Amino acid sequence: MATNSTFVIVKEQGWRMGFANLLRNENLELWRSHRWIKQAGLWLLAVNGFVVINLFVLPAIILPDENVSSMMDPVSEGIRALFQIGTTALAIGTITMTQGKVIGERETGITAWILSKPVSRPAYFLAKIVAHSLEIIAIMVGIQSVVAYGLISLANGEAFPLLPFLIGVGGMILHTFFYLALTLMLGVLVKTRSQVLGIAMGLFFGGMLLPNLINQLGLVTPWLLPNILPVLALQMQIPFVTAYLPILMTAIWSMVFIIVALWKLPRLEF
Amino acid sequence: MDKKNGIVIETQGLSKSYKGVEALKPLSLQVPKNSIFGFLGPNGSGKSTTIKLLLDLIHPSGGSATVFGFDTVQKSPEIRTRVGYMAQDQRFYGHMTARETLRFVAGFFYAGPKAEIEKRIDETLELVDLVGKADRPVQGFSGGERQRLGIAQAQVNYPDLLILDEPAAALDPQGRHDVLMIMERLRKHSTIFFSTHILDDVQKVSDTVAILNHGELVALAPIEELLVGSGNVVYLFTTIGDGDGIQTLLSDMSWVTDINRSGVNGRTQWQVIVDDEDAAEAQLLRSVQSGSEVTVTEFGRKKFELEEIFLEIIKESNHGNK
Repeated sequence: MATNSTFVIVKEQGWRMGFANLLRNENLELWRSHRWIKQAGLWLLAVNGFVVINLFVLPAIILPDENVSSMMDPVSEGIRALFQIGTTALAIGTITMTQGKVIGERETGITAWILSKPVSRPAYFLAKIVAHSLEIIAIMVGIQSVVAYGLISLANGEAFPLLPFLIGVGGMILHTFFYLALTLMLGVLVKTRSQVLGIAMGLFFGGMLLPNLINQLGLVTPWLLPNILPVLALQMQIPFVTAYLPILMTAIWSMVFIIVALWKLPRLEF
Repeated sequence: MDKKNGIVIETQGLSKSYKGVEALKPLSLQVPKNSIFGFLGPNGSGKSTTIKLLLDLIHPSGGSATVFGFDTVQKSPEIRTRVGYMAQDQRFYGHMTARETLRFVAGFFYAGPKAEIEKRIDETLELVDLVGKADRPVQGFSGGERQRLGIAQAQVNYPDLLILDEPAAALDPQGRHDVLMIMERLRKHSTIFFSTHILDDVQKVSDTVAILNHGELVALAPIEELLVGSGNVVYLFTTIGDGDGIQTLLSDMSWVTDINRSGVNGRTQWQVIVDDEDAAEAQLLRSVQSGSEVTVTEFGRKKFELEEIFLEIIKESNHGNK
């Protein structure tokens, strides 16, 4: 270069080329604007809204009927609301929010522009995965879980057991990460935004039905996690394999999606 | 850069096919250091394909290319640390301002110092006359402003090689002029490889021109050489006095294939077409001057406009392809 001796040159090599700058940019986009506040508010309403309804509203409405009341434990219902409805909502939200993150940039030519800079293709994809994982952990699951834990403990009259709750939160993060990895991978594999959305949503909603037809599918996919996580958080009896094999497989599938995307990306043309 | 021969870009039989259709037929060319290399051709002739191959945005079907002596497939990210690229269709993050866009691009090259990076961004904005719009989101920019930002981001890193795909396509005449001036200024430090279909731009700034048609290289020469024309060589000269003797003299020369003369205000303008350049160079002027009854006031070889050359080459190429 001609006149750049005064600069500190970026020294990333190999797959890391461009990673730090891309990650910084992805994070800036989220945190610098007020988007994260809006998102946190939205998810607070969507996830903890159901928790509040189950913890405080429904018991107040149906309290006069003793038969029903005996069947409904508000804390259990609050946990179910968080880990069942919340997990489902987060998966749909993740697919919707990230469906255009890769394919959108491919379609508009932004990917080609970025890849014309000293950027490795793996760095381009990994920066998106890492940035959005942080978003999931912090905003979509983190804040909601803290608020929900407080509400559930309040309804419980004492602190809810932390470890089983954290296992549930971990499962929720993993479940959301699965759909993040799936959606971003599809952005690499297919050619249109509608294909990304169609396949991801198809797998999600198909997953609600398929384990009813083939029981074993529930063991090797994340599809039953919204049912399993409340059971784990409530420390109810469940066979170890039934509880933890789907969690393990969800992690494995997520890694497979990332590996497939990293394999495919260098073969793409822009 | 390849220190052995001062060549920045070299392609050898570089080609690209899509499902059996050749978008770029085997291309071999060399781009010397600090030159402005104009890559000319009609739409769809393979210009952008070549550029994308050099940047490894698409993969070659055959042949190879090196930039600074490094293979474009094996060492692409390393090559791109020394390259600035502006795409034909400029796309940026719409929510970013021009300054943020430049900061983002600079971040791929420089880790600091912050003040120096900001200074460089200011210089670059000034160069492309975007200072007044530096802090506005790019999504509100006009086509011309995007084009300017495209040039700015391409050279924020002081690239050794600047690759510009149709840099003046979306600009008005003033904007085009400014872009060409910027290119002239940048040539001190950079080699510039640019594609265009605007012949006037090529003629104004290029040292060397390559012409592509239907994915095939149909001409490659220094601009001066190209402007002289191909095939028959044409000489133009003006004489004062009776030219009949000259007409007779020239008609007897075996290498003269055609003579045209026209008289204006006592002067005769001659257009002589020859098929032996060496013989003409050695004998034509001397022969004309030997006619004692005339005075030669002007003499020279006809320089063509690039447009004439381009159209002729494309026509020949199209004819050859049929």
